[in-house]
Amino acid sequence: MPDLRTLPLVNASVPDGALFGEAVARLFEAQVPAIAVLGSGERVVGVLSELDVLRAVFPAYLAELRQTAFLEDDSTALQERAWEARTRRATDFVRRVEPLDGDDSVTHAAERFLHTGEQALPVVEGERFIGMLSVAALCHARLDRAGPGD
Amino acid sequence: MDLLAALIFVAALALIAAEWVHRTKVALAGAALMVLVGVLDQDGAIESIDWATLGLLAGMMVIVGLTEPTGVFTFLALRVAQLSKGRPVALVFMLALVTGVLSAFLDNLTAILLVVPITLVIADLLRISPIPLVLVEIVASNVGGTATLIGDPPNIMIGTARPELSFVDFIVNLAPVALVTLLVVTSGLALVYRARLRVEPERAREVARLDAARDMREAKYVGRTLAVLLGTILAFFLHSLLHLEPAVVALTGATVMLLVAADDVESALERIEWSTLFFFLGLFVMVGGLEAQGVIDRIAEWLADASGGSRTAEGLIILWGSAAGSAAVDNIPFTAAMIPVVESVQGGEFDDGLWWALALGACFGGNATVIAAAANVAATGILGRAGEPISFARYLAVGVPVTLVSLVIATVYLLLFQL
Repeated sequence: MPDLRTLPLVNASVPDGALFGEAVARLFEAQVPAIAVLGSGERVVGVLSELDVLRAVFPAYLAELRQTAFLEDDSTALQERAWEARTRRATDFVRRVEPLDGDDSVTHAAERFLHTGEQALPVVEGERFIGMLSVAALCHARLDRAGPGD
Repeated sequence: MDLLAALIFVAALALIAAEWVHRTKVALAGAALMVLVGVLDQDGAIESIDWATLGLLAGMMVIVGLTEPTGVFTFLALRVAQLSKGRPVALVFMLALVTGVLSAFLDNLTAILLVVPITLVIADLLRISPIPLVLVEIVASNVGGTATLIGDPPNIMIGTARPELSFVDFIVNLAPVALVTLLVVTSGLALVYRARLRVEPERAREVARLDAARDMREAKYVGRTLAVLLGTILAFFLHSLLHLEPAVVALTGATVMLLVAADDVESALERIEWSTLFFFLGLFVMVGGLEAQGVIDRIAEWLADASGGSRTAEGLIILWGSAAGSAAVDNIPFTAAMIPVVESVQGGEFDDGLWWALALGACFGGNATVIAAAANVAATGILGRAGEPISFARYLAVGVPVTLVSLVIATVYLLLFQL
């Protein structure tokens, strides 16, 4: 059975000294739902996902609200908040996640995605980061290899 | 064995107050320990659980959980901000009034969870700090919750433990003093905060432009959900006449709401806070252990000795003692322990004055510290997540004076009308 190394992993990461704005640019460019933030020896410090970026750029109280149809855009406030976030370090916004291991089975990876709610997780060999695996890449690879059973 | 029971309970209270471990884990571990070491036998443990309180809480959680998506609470909070027209004192009073009334007829924790997030939006739009407004809301939730049987967990426990005390009895005996206290403490807080809550007229106009009812118009089942909510509140008023326990009223209301306003039962039941229900369950078993070992009777005897047998002194010791105990630990476990004490102190003759003293002490004491009431923990948690953390000491600077003023009002009230 194939392990995770055989899947299309994306080398989407920034060093832990990167600014938030740089990390978001990398996230956008890499076209994966999350990137890894790496410390020394390419060790995974945490991940920065699209939702993490959303939380950083928009007011924190949004997560506490269920009804917001009444809200109108407060462009000055949004601009100020985005500017403030942009110049902070990416590590201020990362979340620690349990990385997948290159040896893990694809079924295990699928279970991890289901139960963590993450859309992309870092894959490591030992402690070294080897790439981000997204749900889309995992499923696309499975569909590509699909065929009728015996 | 009695010493062991007391030790387990005090250790559990200390751990709950220290917040090192989740309070539900502490309560369940304390309960399990009491049974395992033989403080209480298994049948006694099951019998000590007040299922009516758990039913009342669970029913209200479902009702509120299904009412929230209607947007009615968002409408109320936003509308009062608009009506205040950016005047700080008006804003403080109106938010306090809405929080107090919602606390009285839903419960104070729920009121906080509904009102505080909207307050953050209002403060952001008005370009003022949300902290003074949220502190006012915490105080209003604890004081407003004092007014009814369902407003604050201590009252829920007292009301279900003493069936003689109806929903209307709570309102008649506690709502007036709660209202006076709310007006007094809100006036004080408005005076203290009015300079910090000045709003630029342009910002007030921005808030006034918002369409407060938009979420309500876009929500499903608004009419039927509000009809069930109001019907349930009416049934609480009439529960003595209908010979229905408050828990039956709440669970029936929840059932009707599930039937008429829930597309998916599973997600509707997810609104039940199981950790809270298990916290109560653990507490009831621990208090059952204290009762079984005679600890409660000894506390009651000490209380009777300290008061010299005077009913007035007993009432005032219960009032101030339960406020201090609630401030130090949490008003829920403290009330759970005090209910059998008050039962023992009153002896064979039912004495509602002592119960009102306990309710006022525990509910008003809930304002003293961040950990004194679940509503405070929830509100400060929301503030922290929104990037506006409030320290224990900063809370104390508001909580202690508010509690002292509230207790003085409660003392005068009890002396004049109850003791």
